[in-house]
Amino acid sequence: MEPNFNLNRPPVSDEEINSKKDFGELVKTFKKQSIEKARSDVSFLKNKKVTYSAIIAGVAVVCTVTYFSVFKKEPPKEIAHDKITTKSQTNTNTPTSKPSNAFVAPPISKLNVPYTSYKVKAEQGGTIKHKSNSKIIIPKKAFVNKQGEDIVGDVEIRYREFHNQADIIAAGIPMAYDSAGVKSQLESAGMLDIRGYQDNEPVFIKPNKTITVEFASNYPEDRYNMYVLDTIARNWVYTGRDNSLADQKAKQAKLRGQHDAEVPANIETKKMIELQQQLDAIPPKIENEKLAYEKKVSQLPKASLPSKPMKATTGRPQFQLDVNYKEFPELEAFKNAVFEVGTENRNYTPEFSKITWTSAEIAEGPQKGKNYLLILKQGNKVEKLVVYPALTGANYDAALKTYESRFEEYKAGVARREANEKKLKEEFEAKQAAYVAEQKRLQAEMTQEQIRAQAEAARQLNQQIAGMSDNQKVTRVFQVSSFGFCNSDCPRAFPKGGSINPIFTINHGKSFVQPTIIYLVCVDKNLVFTYDNSGIAYNPGESYSVCVIAKDKAYVCDRETFGRCVVNKENKLPVKELDSYEDANSLKMALGI
Amino acid sequence: MEFSPRYHHTAEQLHSEQLIIEAAKQNPEHFGPLYDKYYKQIFGYVYQRMDDKDTAFDLTAQVFLKALTNIEKYEFKGVPFASWLYRIAHSEVMQLFRNKKNLKTINADIGDLRHICEEVEEEYMEQYKGILMTVIKELPADDLTLVEMRFFEKRPFKEIAEILDITETNAKVKLYRILERVKKTLTKKSK
Repeated sequence: MEPNFNLNRPPVSDEEINSKKDFGELVKTFKKQSIEKARSDVSFLKNKKVTYSAIIAGVAVVCTVTYFSVFKKEPPKEIAHDKITTKSQTNTNTPTSKPSNAFVAPPISKLNVPYTSYKVKAEQGGTIKHKSNSKIIIPKKAFVNKQGEDIVGDVEIRYREFHNQADIIAAGIPMAYDSAGVKSQLESAGMLDIRGYQDNEPVFIKPNKTITVEFASNYPEDRYNMYVLDTIARNWVYTGRDNSLADQKAKQAKLRGQHDAEVPANIETKKMIELQQQLDAIPPKIENEKLAYEKKVSQLPKASLPSKPMKATTGRPQFQLDVNYKEFPELEAFKNAVFEVGTENRNYTPEFSKITWTSAEIAEGPQKGKNYLLILKQGNKVEKLVVYPALTGANYDAALKTYESRFEEYKAGVARREANEKKLKEEFEAKQAAYVAEQKRLQAEMTQEQIRAQAEAARQLNQQIAGMSDNQKVTRVFQVSSFGFCNSDCPRAFPKGGSINPIFTINHGKSFVQPTIIYLVCVDKNLVFTYDNSGIAYNPGESYSVCVIAKDKAYVCDRETFGRCVVNKENKLPVKELDSYEDANSLKMALGI
Repeated sequence: MEFSPRYHHTAEQLHSEQLIIEAAKQNPEHFGPLYDKYYKQIFGYVYQRMDDKDTAFDLTAQVFLKALTNIEKYEFKGVPFASWLYRIAHSEVMQLFRNKKNLKTINADIGDLRHICEEVEEEYMEQYKGILMTVIKELPADDLTLVEMRFFEKRPFKEIAEILDITETNAKVKLYRILERVKKTLTKKSK
């Protein structure tokens, strides 16, 4: 069958192609297919009775393990002391240490947090002071053996603490917390592991007794709960709210609160005083400039508007007057003018023209420059008339010409004044703007100085706090009723918002490591998230370092590198192997925490 | 005629790709970058040979699933990973056409037919269009694949050779012979 032949078929758009891409579905299908394949392989094994070989191999392994267990030599017994003694153990394994699939499984044994060993007389009890300044208070007759019988004699207490993310990783402590199906991760304020032995046999805390541990914690916040680790149920068990900080917190809060209150109110540096003086001087300067500007404007010559000559109205009553032009210069243009009686004069009668007035005076009218008040007197009789200067014939023409010439002068005068006013205004505004800019600059400098001063005060406070002796740090009180791990924690949600599916590269990207476990370390919190070899979720606003374990080696991706990779959406994370496997501190330094 | 450089990689790119492949062998989640990188190319290859877009998308998904399933067997031979994907795609497409022959279509532009004429030193004329289409349709499957890759997909011989697992010289010789036959037919039918 011959194929069809299409010419110039329209291409498929990138949008359409991309819309069909579904990598998640591909992986899902792949996994499903792999599971089905695995099942069919199991069926194959069963069908072919290969299981017999497996059983035989299994028996061989069990026999080998049993042989070593039976013939393994007992560890040497500790020499007894008549009082509490201490001894740091270099060997991190304890008689109860778990096989590699144990719930608490140090990923690299050399990094594991070692126990410190103490001895205490069981019948006397006592108080142990750990190197961290924590106190372990053991009541008398606190221990029983596995038969429930009271222990007499020396009991070895093995004790260790976990203060930071590196300790958690190094000791292989699982921090996942499942609260009735709600999964979270525990952020620790400090954790301890305490064990008791007599002759290398584990002892137990008597049911009605508790060991009190006054734990020197580096985390002063009062937001933690108490948990103990149930290694059988493989989960942390909530035992109650951690209220042990009440006194310490109050003390710290008082100190900090006093300081916080002081920082904004009392800090006033010499520079701040100088800046404030300069700032205070600016508003009066602006006001002075404004006054000077207004004065200059008021002093500018004002042009006076000439009066336009009015043509006499035929039939209107008029007066001919001798005018003193010095007194009324604007009337100079009205030389030879007559004064028309305005229609608004209700008191005027034609009789007025027949009266011989003994006095006729002219004064400013209601509309200055436009009309005048003619005051006529005869004996006691006084009449006031509003009159308008008006011209007739050639006088009007001449007056109009004079008016036009003066009006031009007036306009030029107005323009000059406006130009001068504008210039003065610009000068004033420029000076004002300069003062405002100076004011802003000084205010910004003031803010900077305030920030600097507050930061300096905070730095001094931190120095003060850092310089405190250990017993000034917060103390968390653990009441230990059974040996194992105790923790002061608060549950934290798993990170979300960003994810990366990293390939961990070494040797400048020339090769990669295949991690068995990945630790996402919150740099600013005592919090570690554990991932298997799949994607890592992270909160974009947080800082993280990453530690990966591969083939008994630890590799670290520092916070800067991790931050850069997630910002650039780069899935190849360069990691560096630890320089030293001396202890958990090596890891701590590499993680930058 | 210009050929697409989409397939070629620098030594650094090949190395980088190899790292991803090795990681993907350990964990299928790491296959993502390869899937993203080659999805469009593989879809293009598949869809070039058929009319039904949905079938082409399904087959593309099948190609990547096969690739992921068999990635443990993949061995780096100094050529881009794409050549391996194309081989899987080629095999899948051929398998599909064996089962459903009516799905096979040839897709080309007029410009592509002009290029064939240029190659056989014939000036393209409108009447050649129908003749060329007939000649191409009648080509055996392997020869048609060569013509499609060279003229309709504009692939370099090196790439064609890698996909078809033949030598570059062999690809050139085969195509030369095909074009000779095309030329003869054109000359014969246009008279």
